Amino acid sequence: MGQSDQFSGRLGLIFASIGAAIGTGNIWRFPRMVGANGGGTFLIPWVIFLFVWSIPLVIAEFAMGKRSRTGTVGTFRIFAGKKFAWMGLWTAWISTAIGFYYAIVAGWCLKYFQLGISGGLTGDGVDTTEVWNTFLQNPMQVIAFQFLVIAITLLAIWKGAKAIEKVNVILMTSLFVLLFMTLGLSLWMDLSDGSLDGALFMFTVDPAMLAEPEVWINGLSQSAWSCSAGMGMAITYAVYMRKDEDTVLNAFTMGFANNSISIIAGLAVLSAIFAVSADPLATVTNGSSAITFLALPEVFAQAPGGAVGAFVMMAGFFLALSFAAITSMISTVELCVRNFVDHGYERQRSVLITSIAIFFFGLPSAIMWVKLDSAGVAFPEFLEVQDHIWGYGLMFSGLFIAFSIWKYGYIKWKKEVELGKAPPGFEGYLGIGVSAFRDDYINTGDNDIEDGRRWDLCLYLAFPILFSVLMLSYFGDMIANTEDVWNPANPKGLGIILTFWSVVAIVFISLNKFLIARPLYRNVPEGAEADISLLPGGDDPLVTVVGAEAPMAELVAEAVD
Amino acid sequence: MWGACGRNDSMSSTRRQRSAFIAIFILMMPIMLTSVSSTVATSLNENESGNTPEDIWSEDYINMIFPWAPANDDILQFKQYHTYETMKTRMMRLAEDNPDIFEYHEGMNGGTNARGEEVTANAYEGWVYGHSSPWMKITQDVQGGDYNAFVGDNGNYPDRHDVMIVGNHHAREWMSVQVPMLQLEVIAFSYENIGYDNDGDGLVDEDTWGDSNGDGQLDDDGDCLALAPEYQDSNGDGTACGPGDHGVDEDYSEQFITDLVNSREIYLIPMLNVDGNIYDREVFCPEPAWESCPSGGWRKNLRDNTATGVTPIPDLNEQVDEDCDGVDLNRNYQFEWGAPLGATGPLIPGTCSPAEGELDGSNNDVYNGPVDDRDNDGDGQINEDHVDGKDDDADGVTDEDWWGGNSEPETKFIQDMTEMNDDVGDGSSEFKTTLTHHSYSELILWPWGHCTDCQSPDHSQLEYHGQKMADMTQYANLQSSSLYPTSGDFCDWHYGVHGSYCYTSEIGTAFHQRPEDIGHIAVRNLGLGFYIAEIADNPRERANLGLGNVSQQNYLVTPNNVVIPESGDIPIDICVSNEFPYSEANSAVKYRMVKPSRLQSDYGPREWARTPWESVEIERIDKACTTVDGNGTVLRAELPVSESSTGTLHYKAQLTTLSGSQSFYPADGSYYELGIEYRSSYGNLASSLFLFVIIAGAVWGGLGACLRLMLDSDDPREVHK
Repeated sequence: MGQSDQFSGRLGLIFASIGAAIGTGNIWRFPRMVGANGGGTFLIPWVIFLFVWSIPLVIAEFAMGKRSRTGTVGTFRIFAGKKFAWMGLWTAWISTAIGFYYAIVAGWCLKYFQLGISGGLTGDGVDTTEVWNTFLQNPMQVIAFQFLVIAITLLAIWKGAKAIEKVNVILMTSLFVLLFMTLGLSLWMDLSDGSLDGALFMFTVDPAMLAEPEVWINGLSQSAWSCSAGMGMAITYAVYMRKDEDTVLNAFTMGFANNSISIIAGLAVLSAIFAVSADPLATVTNGSSAITFLALPEVFAQAPGGAVGAFVMMAGFFLALSFAAITSMISTVELCVRNFVDHGYERQRSVLITSIAIFFFGLPSAIMWVKLDSAGVAFPEFLEVQDHIWGYGLMFSGLFIAFSIWKYGYIKWKKEVELGKAPPGFEGYLGIGVSAFRDDYINTGDNDIEDGRRWDLCLYLAFPILFSVLMLSYFGDMIANTEDVWNPANPKGLGIILTFWSVVAIVFISLNKFLIARPLYRNVPEGAEADISLLPGGDDPLVTVVGAEAPMAELVAEAVD
Repeated sequence: MWGACGRNDSMSSTRRQRSAFIAIFILMMPIMLTSVSSTVATSLNENESGNTPEDIWSEDYINMIFPWAPANDDILQFKQYHTYETMKTRMMRLAEDNPDIFEYHEGMNGGTNARGEEVTANAYEGWVYGHSSPWMKITQDVQGGDYNAFVGDNGNYPDRHDVMIVGNHHAREWMSVQVPMLQLEVIAFSYENIGYDNDGDGLVDEDTWGDSNGDGQLDDDGDCLALAPEYQDSNGDGTACGPGDHGVDEDYSEQFITDLVNSREIYLIPMLNVDGNIYDREVFCPEPAWESCPSGGWRKNLRDNTATGVTPIPDLNEQVDEDCDGVDLNRNYQFEWGAPLGATGPLIPGTCSPAEGELDGSNNDVYNGPVDDRDNDGDGQINEDHVDGKDDDADGVTDEDWWGGNSEPETKFIQDMTEMNDDVGDGSSEFKTTLTHHSYSELILWPWGHCTDCQSPDHSQLEYHGQKMADMTQYANLQSSSLYPTSGDFCDWHYGVHGSYCYTSEIGTAFHQRPEDIGHIAVRNLGLGFYIAEIADNPRERANLGLGNVSQQNYLVTPNNVVIPESGDIPIDICVSNEFPYSEANSAVKYRMVKPSRLQSDYGPREWARTPWESVEIERIDKACTTVDGNGTVLRAELPVSESSTGTLHYKAQLTTLSGSQSFYPADGSYYELGIEYRSSYGNLASSLFLFVIIAGAVWGGLGACLRLMLDSDDPREVHK
């Protein structure tokens, strides 16, 4: 039945999880958000929410994955109980569904790297809109690059954790180097016109903007999305942790690294745009993500040093972007694959199935409904509809994680009360229940940093409030700004989201009983045995470890006895 | 044992998987290769001879599938004619679905009319089938406003201009029902549906009715003209890129229609002559009428000329007598009724003959109705002051004892609606403009009709608006009597008695057009009803300004010429011709700032239409400017746009004259777009350095600290414990 698998060292895990966290969002979304939300003003909520939202959730994920030693389905089966295995399926599905079209987005980045090195974006008479439209309207090209991304991803995860680690180390290191290179050139560009106004803007607080709720909501969502907090990635990578791995420190490292990259990318992009654009803020803030492919090539083309400068900027930036996208793609596919492997499928077969599925289910997003917007810029509507439907679903994965933690705390407290070890009543709950998960699974003694009460506050108080604010603001905005918002046939409405969600939820909930009838193989590396017997799903005889005898046989044997 | 067995299994299956993987990879290679070859192929196949419709528009638009009904609903898709019943059902449905702008009616309540007569609701019912004409009251918040007890409608607002649009005076003129019905559908669909892309080309409001950019082509956006020649005449009328062809005036402004509905009261009567229409369709000339009687059919209403006692010939047969019955409604209005030219005088009523009699001229198609022998003013004399706008008997009262006319339920209906719909209570008609659809001949007609070689006092103004509508449809623009003299028609009465600018459209090329032609002919004439509503505020002044080229001389500063100051409000100037009688109090510059929110990745007209317009008063500043051909004055509005906002500023000017006609610049329903840059300072070195230190310290410092801790702890754990 295969063998357990683990990262070779600490840096491997760190690089893999940084790779998962750093995606296109850090590089093209972050500068846009800074531009649209008052420059330096935006950084304040963005950093605050790193500590209040993103890092605590990642800590929780690491701790859960490290203990359950299974992917999302198994983790929820063990942590939330048998009835809730479907939550893991939801988490896995959302991530995979996003993978369907994310591969295409990653393909765009690769294509632009190719264009960058072949000079297709520089020179006289290059109309970046035309380049973009021509590319997007050519399905075979889009598919070819999508295929390329999936092929690279497949090769990277074919062998398991050690290979993932190697690929991530290489890609992430290159990304750092490339981004620093781009940053250097950008700052030079910005400085050569007399002032570092891009950098100044990025670090200047506008007190009026600080009072805008919009800025805070944007700061929260940027932090949540770009760290991939609560989305199941960290659960998956924690499966390959060594026993003595530190969940808290790793989470902090990952969060800081993620934000560091964002700052570098933000500085690089903003400086370059402020250096050459007549109306820099309009350039960064207007329009969709496609603007990256329209505005930035124009900006980079004006880099100092003539063709060489432009070449370095263009190739460097888009290669970094591609790397960021591919490493995120890797974690997406791995999240899905891990779940297959947990349920007894052979790794290579799972990788192949997942990759093929991602390729074929991604095809509609690549080729369907490629339209022109009012400014004559092509956009793939089907892809955007997919993003619209599944993008928000990610937030629920975070809610499910919090639910498991809340549930564990409550059960533990009840049990202690029964045993007479804990006082009943609200105070008792605050004392034992609220900190139960932290005491039992985070502060396991392997940590350099002990996680304190602050974490409880984040998970029990801040999380539900912020989750509600985020959801209400998203949906409130949608309801206020979309006509016909409840009609499920409206691809931009709320009706379509709720329809798809409920269908998926109903299907998954009804699949739950088949899911928990299957044996679950935990990936427990040597010397990393961890006790799960206290957990709601921990006493399940069908839960066993990789390499152990098939539990069915054991059960059968028991029956014979 | 188990383990070893498992391992063997998995090894062999790994090998199998690998070969499967290679096989799949090989299968995929052709796809990758084709991707390269297709790039080459597309670049070779550049079409040089022009576009096909599929290159530009949506499939629905090309097949003339309207968005308000399923594709297979022939009637609502204008591929089959409305009957009285389908029209009524549809009108009721539209009123039910759009209760904020539509109120459905049949006939009127009645009461004491403007002439002091007691009228009951059944006075407006057709002679034979007994239906009153259905009509729609159209205005914003139609359930609000004042209630008119006689007419029975709500939504009467003194400050909204009233428009009457009438179809089907003549029973066989089926297209004259289709055009107002299309207008009704378009209003229902377009109201507040701002930025709808009618033709699916990705552009919005790019081609409204007429030649709005003045290049002599109706196809303002040039999409029809960009077609390969074989596609340019989609309606097959012989004119390439003419009205009714694909891509011509196809994407009008929904904002314009919404604004009209909000500022006008439209009385739309798609089928006045219900009796005649039912008779023509069911008895006289049933479908396929376009084959059996394309240019024939029943014209009049169904007055029983024998039984009602005005002719001596007894008709004991209760059936409609096609050789005798009916009154030509468009000869039955009172103004110059029965005047000597063209129409049949009242002394020669419809000449009826027994079925086998075969007398010449048996059916008088322009019979104008019976003589009114009553003493209308009760002075003991009869017919002493004929309706002609003059005091014929010099008794100080004008037109008080008429000779005849308005004898029919249908014309009475128009008469009483006109005379009783008095929102302001000044006793005069509210309908400053009126339009009646007829067919056929492709003409736009206007008063006078009753006299030849005569001109009305508003001749040149009427001609001016007529020409605008003729330009839209490429129909001929004529004074009515230049075609042939008619007396007692709708427009002579409306203009002659009530001073309403009244137009008659003669739609199409047959009474019974072939069904496949309904759609494009209706589309070709769609703009008429909107134009007539637009000019309803003050048609005379609009024409005067237009004729004097004064209105066009005003201009709003274009985005390129706006000077955005470093700080403070943004000034928007309008250069107004010195001859333009603007009202400073009622004119304004309207603006809005639009900016994508985080939910809107493709932010366009659909989204920003939801941003309401703000209004800023204009102020005359002491500065001269030059209009196209004359001196002008600068009016300025200071738009309070924040210095730290970025995005796009939309602005337009609304100029109102002292006598109330309202024009929008740059044009109705459209606006200028001006990119607004961030104008406040991007920050200063000291404070940004401070924040940089904090943020970078927190993030990079945190990262550094973590990494150090981590590298340290790669030592044996015991050290830390």
